[in-house]
Amino acid sequence: MICIYIYISLSLLASTGGISWHQRSSTTTRIPMMPRIPFSVIIKAQRENHLLPILLKECRTIDSARNELRWLRERAVRDSQSLSSKTGWRSRLRSMCQMRSRGYPLQYILGDQPFGHLEILCRRGVLIPRPETESYTYQAAKLVRQMARGCNDKSESPNQARPLRVIDLCTGTGCISLLLHALLAPHFQKLEIVAVDISPTALGLAQENLKHNLQMGQLASSAGTDIHFHCADVLRYGCNNSVPSIESILQIQLPNFGASDTSPPVQESGCDLLISNPPYISQTEFRNGTTARSVRRFEPKLALVPPHSGSGVEDCMPEDIFYHRILTLAFKLRAKLTVLECGDSHQASRVVALHNRLASTESGQFSAEVWPSRERDLAENGFHATDGSRCVIIQALQ
Amino acid sequence: MLSRLHWWTSSRTLAAPARLFSQTPIVPAKPLPPRLKISDADISISYLKGTGPGGQKINKTNSAVQIIHKPSGVVVKCQATRSQSQNAKIARSLLADKIEALENGDNSRVAIKAAAAKKKKASKMKKTRRKYRELGEGAKEGGIEEEEDEVEIIWDDDVKEGETKETESETGGGGEAKSEVPGKGV
Repeated sequence: MICIYIYISLSLLASTGGISWHQRSSTTTRIPMMPRIPFSVIIKAQRENHLLPILLKECRTIDSARNELRWLRERAVRDSQSLSSKTGWRSRLRSMCQMRSRGYPLQYILGDQPFGHLEILCRRGVLIPRPETESYTYQAAKLVRQMARGCNDKSESPNQARPLRVIDLCTGTGCISLLLHALLAPHFQKLEIVAVDISPTALGLAQENLKHNLQMGQLASSAGTDIHFHCADVLRYGCNNSVPSIESILQIQLPNFGASDTSPPVQESGCDLLISNPPYISQTEFRNGTTARSVRRFEPKLALVPPHSGSGVEDCMPEDIFYHRILTLAFKLRAKLTVLECGDSHQASRVVALHNRLASTESGQFSAEVWPSRERDLAENGFHATDGSRCVIIQALQ
Repeated sequence: MLSRLHWWTSSRTLAAPARLFSQTPIVPAKPLPPRLKISDADISISYLKGTGPGGQKINKTNSAVQIIHKPSGVVVKCQATRSQSQNAKIARSLLADKIEALENGDNSRVAIKAAAAKKKKASKMKKTRRKYRELGEGAKEGGIEEEEDEVEIIWDDDVKEGETKETESETGGGGEAKSEVPGKGV
C-alpha cells in the first residue's frame, strides 16, 4: 500500500511538478511565471479526483481546477447524450482534460464563452472575449445612454431623425457589437453598428455569433439588419491590397464621412461611439513571459501583437500604433465618445498623452480619462488592482 | 465506484427532467413567505480575479463574484458558472436567503423549506420501517401457517411481493455459495 502511494506521488511529481521546474530553468532571467505547485496540493487533488492533477498543470490552483473539471464534465455528459457518439463521456472528459493540461484554452474546448447575457461562440483563430472587455462595454453603453438623455433634454427632439451610430474596430468574435446592441436596442429606436475586422475567420465567426444569439432569443430581431460586419484593414491608408482600407468602408457606410473635411460648417458628427479592443501587446511582452503560455501558443498573434512596421508612424511606441490610427479616425469622424482597451495603466496613460498631443491641433474640447481609476472601482468592475488592462474613455464636450 | 454510479444516475435524471402533463402550477399547502428584496444601495459587488493581470495577455476562466451586504456584513461568494452576470444573480439569491434566515429565524423561507424536507424524509423513513416490519412478520406467518387463507387482499399482495423478494435473495445467496465452492477446492 505504501509502495503504491509513493509510486503515485512520484509519477505525479514527474508529470505536474516537472513542467514548472522546466519552465523556470529556461526562463532564469525573466519573471517566474509559474511557481511550483506544492506536493501537498497535488496529493490533495489526486485524492479528490484522478483528473484534477492533470488540470492543475494549467489552472495552477485547486479551486479553479475544480471549477474547470465541473464545467468540462457537464459538457462531456451533455455531448455524449446529444450526439450519441460511440465513446462514453468518461473517455471524452479524459481527452478534454489532457487537451486543457497542454494549455489549450477552455473556451476553445467548450466552444463558447459567456459575455454579459450572450453566449459567444469561440473557435481557434479568433481571440476569446475577456471579462474586462465585458465590463467596459457595459460602461460604454451606460455613457451612451447618459449622453443621449443629455441631448434630448437640450434639443427636445427625440432621436428619430438619425440613428445612433456605433463603430467597433477589431471586433473579433463580434462580442462588443452584439452586447452593445443588446444593451442599447431597448433605449434607441434606430441603431446602426458597423463592426470591422481584418481576419475573414473572425468575421465568419462573428456572423455565426449573430445568428446563434438571435436563435437563442438573446438579441432583438432588429440586430440582423442593424449590425454590419466588414472586412477592412484599420492600419493601412491606401487601397493597394486585397483588403480594403477602413476609410473606404466608412465612406460607403457613413454618407457624410468624406464631406466633413471640405465643409466645416457641417457639425453633424459621423458617429456616436467608436469602440475598439485592438492588438496591444508589444513584441517583447509577448515573448518575455508576461503573456500566458496558453494565450501565446493557441490564440491568434494577429489579434494580440500589432505588426512590426506599421504605416510609418514615428511619434509613438510600436505597440501603440493602433491607438494613433484610431484616435486620428475619431477626430475625422467627430466621434462623441471613444472607448479603447489598453494593456496596463502605463499604456493607458500613454494613450491619454497621445490623445492630448493630437487634440491640440484639432478644434473642440475633449475629456480623456483612464477607467476604472480608483482602487475600489477596479475591484468592483473586475479589473486587477495593481496591473492588467484598463480602458481609456474620451468624450467630446459640447 | 458506487459514488460514481450514483453521480451518473443523478446526472442522467438532471439532464432529462420529467415533463409535467398538467399545466396548472403546483401550489404548496402553505404558501412560503415572500422572497426578501435587497436594494442595490446596501450591497457592494466585486468581481474576483484570481492571480495576475487580465486583459489580452492572460485568458482567465475564473469569474467568481463576491457580494457584501453592508448593514449586516454578510459575505456571499459564487463561482458556479462561467458567466459573471449569472454568478452575480445566483450570489444575490443566496444573499437574500441568508439575510432572511438571519432576520426571521425559524419563520424564514429557508427554515420552512428545510423543516418540510425533514418532515417528508422522516415520514418516508417511517413508511419504510413499517413496510419491512410487516414484510418480516408476513414471512414468519406465511412460514408457520401456510394453510391459512383468511388474509385481506392488500395484505395478500404485500406477502406475495415479499415472498418473491425472499426467493430472489435466496437464489442470490445460493449463487454465492456455489461460487465459494471452487474457491475452497483450490
